[in-house]
Amino acid sequence: MSNSTNIKRLPLRKERGPFLYFILPAALIVGVVLVFPIIYGFGLSFFNWPQVDDGTRAFINFGNYLELFKDNEFWHSLSLQLGFIFIAIPIELIIGFFVAILFNHDFPLSGFLRTLLLLPVFILPILSGLTWKLMLQPRYGAITYLLGLFGMEFPQGILSDQSLAYIAVIIQDIWRMWPFMFMILYAGITSLPKDIMEAAEIDGAGFIKKTFAITLPMLRGTITTAILLRTIDALRIFSEVFVMTGGGPGNGTMLFSLYIHKQAFEFGKLGYASAMAVILIVISLFFAFGLVRKNMDIDTM
Amino acid sequence: MMKMKNRKKIIKWVVFISALIIVLVELFPIWIIISNGFKRDLDIRNSNPFDFQFSLRSYELVFQKSDFVPSIRNSLIVGLSSTIISLIFGSMASYGIARFRFKGRKGLSYSFLVSRMVPQIALSVPIFILFDRLSMTDTHISLILAYTSFNLPYIIWLLLPFFSSVSPSFEEAALVDGCNKKQVFWKIFLPLTAPGLVVAAIFGFIMAWNEYIYALILTGNATKTAPIAVNGFMGQYAPKWGQLAASGTIILIPIIIFTLTLQKYIIKGLTAGGVKG
Amino acid sequence: MRKLLLVLLVVLFATMMFSETIKVLAWDDAHSQSWNTLKNDFEKATGIKVDLELIPSGSMLQKTALNVTENRANYDLVAIDEGNVAKFGDLLLPYSQWPEGNVFPKVGTNDIPAAIFAAAEWGGQLVGIPNNGNMYIWMTREDLINNEEYQAEFFDQFGYELQVPQTLDQLMNMCVFFEPKGIYGFAPFTATSEGATCEAVMFFESFGTSVLEMVDGKYQVSLDREKALQAIMFYKELMDYSPQGALSMGHGERIGAFSDGLVFSMFQWPGIVPSHENVDESMVAGQIVYTAPPAGPFARTAVRGCWIFGIPRASTKQAAAAEFAYWVNNYEVGLKLAEEGMTPVRTDLLNELSGEKPWYTGMAEAGQFAVSRPNRSVHYPELSEVIKTNWLGAVTERMTAEEAVDNIIEDLNELLESYE
Repeated sequence: MSNSTNIKRLPLRKERGPFLYFILPAALIVGVVLVFPIIYGFGLSFFNWPQVDDGTRAFINFGNYLELFKDNEFWHSLSLQLGFIFIAIPIELIIGFFVAILFNHDFPLSGFLRTLLLLPVFILPILSGLTWKLMLQPRYGAITYLLGLFGMEFPQGILSDQSLAYIAVIIQDIWRMWPFMFMILYAGITSLPKDIMEAAEIDGAGFIKKTFAITLPMLRGTITTAILLRTIDALRIFSEVFVMTGGGPGNGTMLFSLYIHKQAFEFGKLGYASAMAVILIVISLFFAFGLVRKNMDIDTM
Repeated sequence: MMKMKNRKKIIKWVVFISALIIVLVELFPIWIIISNGFKRDLDIRNSNPFDFQFSLRSYELVFQKSDFVPSIRNSLIVGLSSTIISLIFGSMASYGIARFRFKGRKGLSYSFLVSRMVPQIALSVPIFILFDRLSMTDTHISLILAYTSFNLPYIIWLLLPFFSSVSPSFEEAALVDGCNKKQVFWKIFLPLTAPGLVVAAIFGFIMAWNEYIYALILTGNATKTAPIAVNGFMGQYAPKWGQLAASGTIILIPIIIFTLTLQKYIIKGLTAGGVKG
Repeated sequence: MRKLLLVLLVVLFATMMFSETIKVLAWDDAHSQSWNTLKNDFEKATGIKVDLELIPSGSMLQKTALNVTENRANYDLVAIDEGNVAKFGDLLLPYSQWPEGNVFPKVGTNDIPAAIFAAAEWGGQLVGIPNNGNMYIWMTREDLINNEEYQAEFFDQFGYELQVPQTLDQLMNMCVFFEPKGIYGFAPFTATSEGATCEAVMFFESFGTSVLEMVDGKYQVSLDREKALQAIMFYKELMDYSPQGALSMGHGERIGAFSDGLVFSMFQWPGIVPSHENVDESMVAGQIVYTAPPAGPFARTAVRGCWIFGIPRASTKQAAAAEFAYWVNNYEVGLKLAEEGMTPVRTDLLNELSGEKPWYTGMAEAGQFAVSRPNRSVHYPELSEVIKTNWLGAVTERMTAEEAVDNIIEDLNELLESYE
């Protein structure tokens, strides 16, 4: 009886037929649909390319990248975005994890409650952003009112203060996406081999020991995936923040995608925006490598 | 013996109450959205979300808008198609990556990932050009292809940990019994990974259902999808709160049905074989 | 019998020959939805089918830019926000070349005031036709002005009759007067969007200075420092009489503040007014009087914000497209369209319908004082960004007024130079 947690090495399979059968359809679709767009998007970053041709479209080599380097707003956007990632995602993970453990019990309505928990993830992102905006209105917002009950007054409105608006945007994301982490972790926990968990209980392991010494390590791959997927999408967050603050006040919540949108569609500087997109991909890859290298066996041959 | 039973019962109820509280707190903003659909705009500007006059006016106005119901139909067609295709091809590819050692395995997996990392804004223009030149704009198929290309890498990476953690003993046993690799995948392996598949299907569907940018770029009057119709209630200046909330609530329903169906039937059906590690 | 069939076939063939379909792209709201509701009338009258696509207004620029180029136009008629006319101007058929309508007459400057038609101006000629009359109008609470107690008090305090403010100074007096009664005098527009540029332009112009002036086809900075400072200081004073949250009021907040009865007077875009007159959305429906905005020391100004209809040069159905544009702006058709939610731009329509829709009077009046933002440049978004950021910075006290004005002048000069 093999113990699934010890199996990391598989016997080498060298038949190409079956392998192609499995990989090819996906590779074909992604390749055919996206190869031209990705090359185009990448190539565009080396051009000055106003959206509506005014005669200045031209190849400018690394010009966009150099300009980005000097652009203070770009760095500001980047720092806001990274701050967002490093604060929101760990919190989402922690909440999701503990709630997943909680739900890993048998209790009435658990399936129904699990689906209800997912509603924030189901909601159209702009609706989430708009509702939070509504709740934070100085005059009639529900959250402003509730905070007022605790003595915290915001006569000008939370969203009119740069720092508070930033916090509000982060909290909106945490509210919306911790159930996402929950969902993945719950699926992971319920996929764990029950025999090990039972063995640990019989051995007398307490809750804390069980969680940290056994559950967590076995969930490593799942946790990494959850963080990876969430990070890729969080690095590109747009609609919720756009309708909530528009990037303001000033540029207090001008997260990266909002700045790309501004350059691409307000100013029409498509080449410049493409360069920013390329940098975003590089940063995402950086995160991906870091996460995957230690925790998933993609790297091993 | 009685003490053990009681203790278990108490834990069960404590857990239940805690879960209920968490859900209620989490759903407060959802309550606001849903209830706003039933309020007059005047009442929406009230800091007490429980004090209002019930009104169906917003729902009336939403259904009167000629593009709303057709947009839901379009979203269903595109959403279900792209989710099914992505799930099938995605699980196949994820299996290929998880189970087969081959040269370029790393490169291929990361290529999928990179394709998913590109901001849609950057891809929107070239994707439009691509489908426009092929005269495929305002068709379902173009959006289905776009969404599938977007969902596949996601689903592949989502399924990897689930697939990697399944013991190969079942597959080996089946091979010994004379099944070929494909049969092993479809009949033996997949049923073992039901929870992961359900999560992948749900997230794939949500993504396709709520997606805006590709839909805006690639659709016309005939294929307009739900997010665009809902965004239409944003108004040129200020959102029509009531109608936005009503339409937003309506488009939640298909996702909820989809999720509940998956969780009930697929998990039951697929785990008939037993999920013993 | 055979003769009848033959005739029918000929007619069918003829209608098939002459029935075209045009594709129209416009933004989605009550105004354009009215065209959708009645477009069958148009089809019956002209035999032209209309595929009218309405999308969220925030996405119009993106979609138009993709679908309308020099060589290809996937739409035969597009709605273009006046701020974007510069971007598409060269791609549009000049109005002078639009054919005379077959069924509906071509619209001219005797139907629509020249100041509004100017929204379609590019490179010295008109490249389209306005399809909505959009400019600042001023709303004042009639019930408050007509309140006899207030009237007596006000006369005692200020020596003239309480009335709709005709000048900014009168507005200020009313602000001072109403403040102790818990009514705010003014609601600014302080969200970080184009609306802030509109406020800046209105007040700068009212105080006698333009930010940018067109000289020999190019923009030059013409902001007078003194007058600009006066404008900003006055605006800041007005903001003292604004409701909570005045530091970041966008459309939603302003609409809410006025409709909840907190503010007695402010500017508004005509497209939003129906919301204030809707009892489900507003506590002050039926109690509003509409006029042109109050005059500053130098001029009375109403910022214009129209959308125009443009026909891409690359379209193959220009005559049919023009027909539709004339239909939308036709007098008789307009009477029906207005019932379905359209905001007219024709002066005769505005006057005719002002009985049912009192804000049309305000529009007719304001139209005379229309001023435009300096948006006849492809670089307008960047120029607007400079104006809006610094104006907002000054009025929300993130920077001093002097800094703001200096920044505007400096940064605009820098930008204009970089475009050379």
